[in-house]
Amino acid sequence: MEQAKYIGKRLVELFLTLLVVSFLTFAAFSIIPGDTASVMLGPNATAEQLSALRSQLGLDLPMSVRYLEWLKGAFTGDLGNSYAYSQPVISLITDRLPVTIGMSILSLLMVLLISYPMAILSGRRPGSLSDNTLSVFGHVLFALPPFVLSMLIITLASAAFGIYSVGRYVKPSSDFFGYLGCLLLPSFCIALPKIAMTFKFLRASIIEEKASDYVRTSKSHGLSDVSIMFRHILPNSTVSTITVISLVLSDILGGSLIVEQVFNLPGLGRLLLAAISRRDFPLLSGMVFYLALITVLLYFAADIVSALIDPRMRNNREGTL
Amino acid sequence: MNIAEIRNLSMSIYSGKGVPALILDDLNFHIREGEILGLIGNSGSGKSMTAMTIAGLLPESAQVTSGSIEIDGKDVLKLSAGERRKLLGEEIGMIFQDPMTALDPLETVGKNLDEILRIRNIPKEERKSRIISMLETVGFIEPERIYRSYPHQISGGQRQRVLIAGAALLKPKLLIADEPTSSLDTVTTVSILKLLKDICIEMHMTILFISHDLSVVNNFCDRVMVMKDGKIIDSDNTEDILHNPKNAFTAELLTKAKLDPRSLGLEFSEVDPSGSPVLKVMDIATAYRDGFFGRQRAKNTIEGISFDLYPGEVMGLIGSSGCGKTTLAKTICGLLKPTGGNIDHCSGKVGVVFQDPVSCLNPMHTIRWHLNEPLVAAGIKLTKEEREKKILEAIKAVGLEEKHLSRYPGRLSGGQRQRAAIAMCLILEPSVMIADEPFSSLDASSAASILKLLSKINRERKTSILLISHNLRVVRTMCRRVLVMSRGHVVEEGMTEEVLKSPKASATKALIDAERQLS
Amino acid sequence: MRTSLQKKTRIYMAVGFSLLAVILVAFVISLTHLYVYDPNSTNAAAKLLPPSSDHLFGTDNLGRDVFARCMEASKYTLLVSFCGVFIAFVLGTLLGMPAGYFGGITDKFIMLISNSVMCFPGILLALVAVAVFGPSLFNVVWALGLVFAPTFARVYRTGVIGLSSKEYILHAKVLKVNPMRIMLLHIFPNLVPQLLPAVVIGLANMTLFESGMSYLGLGVQPPHASYGKMLADAQSYMTMAPWLIVFPALLLVIYVLGLYFLSEAARLSFGGERR
Repeated sequence: MEQAKYIGKRLVELFLTLLVVSFLTFAAFSIIPGDTASVMLGPNATAEQLSALRSQLGLDLPMSVRYLEWLKGAFTGDLGNSYAYSQPVISLITDRLPVTIGMSILSLLMVLLISYPMAILSGRRPGSLSDNTLSVFGHVLFALPPFVLSMLIITLASAAFGIYSVGRYVKPSSDFFGYLGCLLLPSFCIALPKIAMTFKFLRASIIEEKASDYVRTSKSHGLSDVSIMFRHILPNSTVSTITVISLVLSDILGGSLIVEQVFNLPGLGRLLLAAISRRDFPLLSGMVFYLALITVLLYFAADIVSALIDPRMRNNREGTL
Repeated sequence: MNIAEIRNLSMSIYSGKGVPALILDDLNFHIREGEILGLIGNSGSGKSMTAMTIAGLLPESAQVTSGSIEIDGKDVLKLSAGERRKLLGEEIGMIFQDPMTALDPLETVGKNLDEILRIRNIPKEERKSRIISMLETVGFIEPERIYRSYPHQISGGQRQRVLIAGAALLKPKLLIADEPTSSLDTVTTVSILKLLKDICIEMHMTILFISHDLSVVNNFCDRVMVMKDGKIIDSDNTEDILHNPKNAFTAELLTKAKLDPRSLGLEFSEVDPSGSPVLKVMDIATAYRDGFFGRQRAKNTIEGISFDLYPGEVMGLIGSSGCGKTTLAKTICGLLKPTGGNIDHCSGKVGVVFQDPVSCLNPMHTIRWHLNEPLVAAGIKLTKEEREKKILEAIKAVGLEEKHLSRYPGRLSGGQRQRAAIAMCLILEPSVMIADEPFSSLDASSAASILKLLSKINRERKTSILLISHNLRVVRTMCRRVLVMSRGHVVEEGMTEEVLKSPKASATKALIDAERQLS
Repeated sequence: MRTSLQKKTRIYMAVGFSLLAVILVAFVISLTHLYVYDPNSTNAAAKLLPPSSDHLFGTDNLGRDVFARCMEASKYTLLVSFCGVFIAFVLGTLLGMPAGYFGGITDKFIMLISNSVMCFPGILLALVAVAVFGPSLFNVVWALGLVFAPTFARVYRTGVIGLSSKEYILHAKVLKVNPMRIMLLHIFPNLVPQLLPAVVIGLANMTLFESGMSYLGLGVQPPHASYGKMLADAQSYMTMAPWLIVFPALLLVIYVLGLYFLSEAARLSFGGERR
């Protein structure tokens, strides 16, 4: 009951957010300086050609009508054809999605699998040698931009050992493990700074929770430090770190756009740059909207997860959205 | 027969390179089987550290430098870490000060208690039935419901009961209670003390009771030890400690703990109840609404409250915590919008003094700034000299000096800060002052001087005061009339004498009983 | 324990400032034109020269002096990050403060907008803004400001909500102090402990974003030098001329690292960590 109510509340907010996100996306591409039609046809176009193209693209309709049309298209997966590729926007995006999504998922896994043990090791005894080493390591990682890291790794791997060739990509349908292998290194480059970030927050949170009263209670119940860490401290720190993790997710998604460029992978990043350079607005708005949609859903999922862990959240606290 | 024997116990805390700080200095005492031993001292005296040392829950930086702790014949300092942990729960049970956060908020009450039995490999069904019956023992009528509840869904007093249930679950011989009632109101305090005493007898437990407050010791402890700077400086039976203390520090502690307003010789302004009131509260109701769906929260909402306050009158407002006192105060001074009814300030100004001397002043600004702020807010146009004169007048009226004006709140004591807050209130010459427990977090001497100040303001300026307090003695001497609140309603009102002498409502009776117990 | 904390703060601060000093020297050099080479002058005779006493950091594929270009790039990095953070800070103040202070429907509305902006992956939003409005230094700065504004709005909102229950703020409300005045004079000074680390970390993040955008060719535009663009250009000469990567990357990382240590120091000195 409580949970259903909470999820209902979040769903309303999800809907409102999606509405605003879609409107922002649409509006951004409607207030562009310069006329799309004249951009497409170039400076030598006649007035008739221009108005013909405008009505063909629907640019002569009022803004509200165009927004509703666009919204309908966005949710039915029909955002029209790309100007540059003359293909449906949606198929262009879904073609490239496996690279970007695969990298994002791999990065997230790396972030979680590495930052948690690091934070536990560090937060267990703050100020100890292992804590200080990990903390300094974290600080340095944080300052490395993913694309610089990628370049360094490519230089090291391909030049020194000759084991890595940039731009190699296998479709997941043909060779799934090959596909994962191609994405492993780029994912690692995206993940490293985010590991540092998650580690920092989680460590601070663990140290804070360690000083809390319920830990003392559990100690007085006779529990060992290890079981207190895993049964009490970690769940509680996770609750306060979930927001950070959801922000990390959004950063990972953005980061993969750049890193796949360094590794020359056929993902959304390359499509994005192509769309930008050719001012392909249907494609651009479609990509912006769908990437935002993914992020919104991720935030929503993060809210639900924290509500599942934290009973107080279901009662009154506010979520990420 | 002694259950615990502490000999020559010294403990130090090591920090960085500096000299280790000696926290416990050569403690020697014993705890007799079945007794309730009180350990009293100011904060930082080492009383909690004594408990932690006995339980073996010291922070890593702390080290026992000498001595022995014998519990039930075993020297626990010689045991391994694992063996000591096993002792916790089985031989030694513990409860702590703030029940608010002492349970893991993510798990149900049942789960929180379950771990005690789980780590001792007791089968699941037995665990549940034992917990349920223990919850019943500590006074829950619906133990099943409490078992399923999350800590945030039950009240502070209930949480403390849950913690007691946890500490007593394995029937340990020694129960260490570290300030278990400091964050509870008087009525709840009395009921928790009674519960402790009951299970002490019923389960043949011994209690080491730690408190900074001498008033809870009476009628509860058999013996009392007084600690100062890591040493036990006084030890006697309760009767003697309270009534003829041999040690000077104990005597000082006693006078500090006892706020006796009768001895202050307070005088108040004449009240003319036939005149026109300065504050008319008519049938007001305030409800907190909860976000989107507008669900009403039952807690802290008030309803159907009416009263008049006459010029120069001091009126008391009493009730246990969560009864809506503060909500009423906030509504009267305009911080909350009433959902019904009417408040007539009768063209006078309302000033307010809050409870907490720490957060009553903005730490980033000087006292002068604080006193100037009300003048700016009220839009009073003054020349620089007039302004300075007014500020000086106000600060002198509360017994502070000119030099305090340029100070930041961080450099003032709690009592001084509370005075500055009162000055902030006075500078606008209000006809009514609302004082929300203005002295409850001050020690007795500062509190007494605040009381004197309030009575002086009342006498000299004819300012009416609505005094919110849980201290019945203060209300008795300060207030002409009193309102008693319970669950958002005024359940009793009248002349203070009559109400406190022959209470009609059960809430009033409970308050008076609790007061009697703790005096 | 207190002293060890202060010691840590001091160490962080020292490391942070000394790292930042490097970039500040670079900035000053770029302003004073003290260095002999012009960052944009090409020299066909001096292509891809390794570091030497003549060219401290070597030369690139057009024969431009890498040291001079690094100096120039540091200028734009500082310019973009400071201006961007300033815009984000002002926007965040305007959004977050009223949201936290007034609560209710105002809060819901502002947070809906701000959260919606946050739902666009930051780099995507900045890239698209620049793509739509054209890549110019001005557009880069305001786009980044817009992207970072919700972060500040959040810091503000959380801080203001936390302070609202403090008695001195309640008292100000009872005195009917103008809400504007409460926000600016009563609340703002007390938020500095949260805001200062956020501003410094914002500078670091914005630098990272800008370099990413420049790397993709949508940040600071040529012929002006920027770290991202220099690194992108250097990628083709990765094995041939590693100095083209090493020096810009190093300076960029030093700047970000310096800011990062400073923000940690700020956080620690305001008691941000319990020990």
